[in-house]
Amino acid sequence: MHSRRMRRVAVALTALLVLTACARDGDEEDEAGGEEASGPIDIWYSNNEAEIAWGQAVVEAWNAEHPDEEVSAQEIPAGDSSEEVIQASIAAGNTPCLIYNTSPAAVPQFERQGGLVALDEFSDGASYVQERTGEGVEQYQSADGQYFQLPWKANPVMVFYNRALFEEAGIDSEEPPLATYEEFLQTSRTLVESGAAEAAIWPSPASQFFQPWFDFYPLFAAQTGGAQLVEEGEPRFASEEGLAVAGFWRTMYDEGLSPKEEAAGDAFADGQSAMAIVGPWAIAVYGEVDWGVVPVPTADGTPVEETYSFSDAKSIGLYSSCENRATAWEFLKFSTSEENDGLLLAETGQMPMRADLPGTYADYFEENPDYQLFADQAARTVEVPNVENSINMWQTFRNAYSEAVIFGEAEVEPTFEQAAEEITGLIAE
Amino acid sequence: MSATSVNRSDPSGETVGGTAATTPNAPSATREGSRLRRVAGFLALLAGAIVFLFPFYYMIVGAMQREPDPTVSGAFPDPSNLTLANLEAINGRVDLLGSLLNSAIFTGGVILLTLVLGLLAGYSLARLEFRGRALVFGGMLLTLILPFQLLLIPLYVMIVRTYGLADTYLGMIVPFAVNATAVFIFRQFFRSLPAELFDAARIDGASELQILMRVAIPMSKPAILTAVLVSFIGPWNEFLWPFLITKEAAMQPLAVSLANYITTVAASAANPFGAILAGATVLAIPAVVIFLAFQRYFLQTDIGASLKG
Amino acid sequence: MSATPRAEAPARAPVTRRLLGRQPIGALFAAPYVLFWLALFAWPMGLAVVISFRDYFFAAPGAQVERPFVGLDNYAQALSDPVVHRAALNVAIFILINVPLTVVLALVLAAALNTALPLRTMFRSAYYVPYVTASVAMVGVWLWLFSSGGLVNSLAGGLAPDPSWLVNSFWAMPIIALFATWKQLGFYVLLYLAALQNIPETLYEAAKVDGAGVVRRFRAVTVPGVRSATTLVVILATIVGANFFTEPYLLTGGGGPNQASISPVLLMYQEGIQQGEAGYAAAIGVVLAVFVMGVSLVYRRFVEEGEPA
Repeated sequence: MHSRRMRRVAVALTALLVLTACARDGDEEDEAGGEEASGPIDIWYSNNEAEIAWGQAVVEAWNAEHPDEEVSAQEIPAGDSSEEVIQASIAAGNTPCLIYNTSPAAVPQFERQGGLVALDEFSDGASYVQERTGEGVEQYQSADGQYFQLPWKANPVMVFYNRALFEEAGIDSEEPPLATYEEFLQTSRTLVESGAAEAAIWPSPASQFFQPWFDFYPLFAAQTGGAQLVEEGEPRFASEEGLAVAGFWRTMYDEGLSPKEEAAGDAFADGQSAMAIVGPWAIAVYGEVDWGVVPVPTADGTPVEETYSFSDAKSIGLYSSCENRATAWEFLKFSTSEENDGLLLAETGQMPMRADLPGTYADYFEENPDYQLFADQAARTVEVPNVENSINMWQTFRNAYSEAVIFGEAEVEPTFEQAAEEITGLIAE
Repeated sequence: MSATSVNRSDPSGETVGGTAATTPNAPSATREGSRLRRVAGFLALLAGAIVFLFPFYYMIVGAMQREPDPTVSGAFPDPSNLTLANLEAINGRVDLLGSLLNSAIFTGGVILLTLVLGLLAGYSLARLEFRGRALVFGGMLLTLILPFQLLLIPLYVMIVRTYGLADTYLGMIVPFAVNATAVFIFRQFFRSLPAELFDAARIDGASELQILMRVAIPMSKPAILTAVLVSFIGPWNEFLWPFLITKEAAMQPLAVSLANYITTVAASAANPFGAILAGATVLAIPAVVIFLAFQRYFLQTDIGASLKG
Repeated sequence: MSATPRAEAPARAPVTRRLLGRQPIGALFAAPYVLFWLALFAWPMGLAVVISFRDYFFAAPGAQVERPFVGLDNYAQALSDPVVHRAALNVAIFILINVPLTVVLALVLAAALNTALPLRTMFRSAYYVPYVTASVAMVGVWLWLFSSGGLVNSLAGGLAPDPSWLVNSFWAMPIIALFATWKQLGFYVLLYLAALQNIPETLYEAAKVDGAGVVRRFRAVTVPGVRSATTLVVILATIVGANFFTEPYLLTGGGGPNQASISPVLLMYQEGIQQGEAGYAAAIGVVLAVFVMGVSLVYRRFVEEGEPA
């Protein structure tokens, strides 16, 4: 009877092995679906509460009208970054049809992986993207002129400040001196020395590739009057302007005005930090803080209406594992209609990327003057460059920045120059 | 018999030294009874135990604090600052029970597979002489030396791409079956058993399978428990592999959900450390409880006792 | 006496026995493990080499993509990458702190536990608690303990380093090594405890008759008596040093500050999975695998020197 038991174990094991060996080989699978198919689809949206509310409302409205083409929505799975999750999902072949959290920086990579569908494949694809977006749409074209993304919404970043903490430190909270680097540094010193706040401003010192978007890049955009990190295959950050921005941040870190440690919670919301660089989504989150907002500083100060910033835009991508692409495309258009864009603005405070935003939703901006500033800023934003190896490029830049600026372990200029050289090689590949 | 059996003696320890008749093989140190040495040893153990237990204790205290209090007095529970809100906070973002269940399935699968493979291979390596034995043993040692983490890229390619096992239990489990620790434990154990036992059974005409099932396995309770313990801890603690292959929240073991909470979601919580520690406590408690339950068995049986039986 | 390995009696064997060994059924017993080994260890190892020679990235199923052969490019890049150098240095730092601390503390604690002391069982459990608790959970506590406003700094006062421990490029790695030592020690204590119980009492008696004191007996009997356990402890602790991931990923926020606590496996994850440079990451894995095997072999030679075969 023992041997019988052993035999059973052996059978179970063999079954497991066979199961393992016979599992499908993804490489040989045929491309699924087609442009014509319709039926139920899955979508992922971002994991912040306001966007979830918007997504649920839109999906509900769609499903009520389209019982045969039901949309199931869920939050994008958690991970170190959304890009990593999506990339893994592309490799595993289990992406949903639409992801409402596709970073334009990652689009070239997803495209190279064969994970995205060019929207031009739909008869009204290119025209829809162009008409909705209007000016600046070419920033979102791939190298061969196709649209693998619909630029969806922007969160132009600005500097939030906590009025109460400014007053505590004896700083004018109506028109705080924050326009030039010198003013910004002086204000920061006053804030920290007076004990009003632990940190003047607390950008994340972590090393993820996207972190420069919330410290270096907005100031770089402002300083250069709208230049991208890389233009025409040439890195621009080792320039005079780039070094000025880096020098500014390095002083912030050297003097302890910005901590080198990750904040435990949201430093601005908790009052640990007197300022933050964030987009309009934060208005809803920072409800309890009495805040003001100013554009990011430049070396010598720039008038508000001329200051550029980073767009922090997100696109919608249609992924190649999608079977019912016709439904996906229809839902994509439905969810970015004038009405649903208006709902997005109202629910989340984020700026739909459509032509003439302030004109289209004039009533809203009249009622919510806070957002007007961001809508104006949205007109002067810089996108991430649409280049090959974009994530690698940002990571290389971040590593150099961490070393030379945050941790001050190397000279800025040679470090930046070396990074620029590496990046030139990366994007030329 | 030379194998000693300290574990079998009275856990209080006090009576062991004096009655040499009941425990003839107790270590000489106990019989020597140098009082000073015993006090020193006791104090060293006590200091060590405090260092080892403090973070665990601090985790529970921190998990129940309404306001995080990192000062020295915060290390003592303050009744006015106690709450279960942190548990609710994390349970709102992470399905604690579902994740625990995933951890249990993942761990259970690994243990089962490891035991079956380990007992068979361990016995054959220890007690059977066959061609290729040295090769198998060498290959097994190689897996001890080369941790699977160094193979994570090809394993990822295989499991996720080739076999399409992303977000499945099988995908989580199988790479751990190769872990040779259990094989090694069983091999060492079976080798430590007297050869006469096996020779006698063979002379009695028992087949190798019968010897394994009737002689070796019944005697190897302590080794099996050790192997279960060791292979329990591996997957229960494992973060990297399930983290790589489970992106769907509903499939993630608790270690992965908690780590994702720490890296991404915690920043928006009211008391991030409290919520993290509450999750950590939920992750830690089952392992510790199961371990303590096993610990009793470790005390009751040991290699020496099995040999005498 | 029964524990000493018995020399096999050399005998003239028939042809089949010489061809297949005395008990060919052993091969059958080992087969399941061997199959898993081939599928999930040998095959991925080969795959790692194949991938490492290509510009490999993860593509969608069915997508037509090019993954050109790039020869040794990935290796050249890995060997000249300063981050790889830093990761290698960190492995060295980790091993330098972790291995000696582990061997000394585990042996001393095991020796103390092996004497009859009050509360011995409780102490023993205390040392295992960190070991059985998931790293992710314990990292949560250490994050809190060592954060800039944490308990450690409130105790240290003016002695606290600036920047604080986990973001201090000097301290980040030692903290990780200490965490791993603390976390794993219970397991090594267990190994030593088992080894101690196998030391024949007669050896201690003989040493005592020769007039050896406690320290002499520890050095002359205990240390050599647990030599094979020491080999195992040293090798296992070294291997932990080559594959740590969770600690730098969570404790120092992704190998920070500024890569000061980057580990090889974390680097492979960042390059291969996050940035999609699987070819490069596989090359790093292969280089490390070779390195780890080399180090382990040297260790074995070194630790086992003078030990009877």
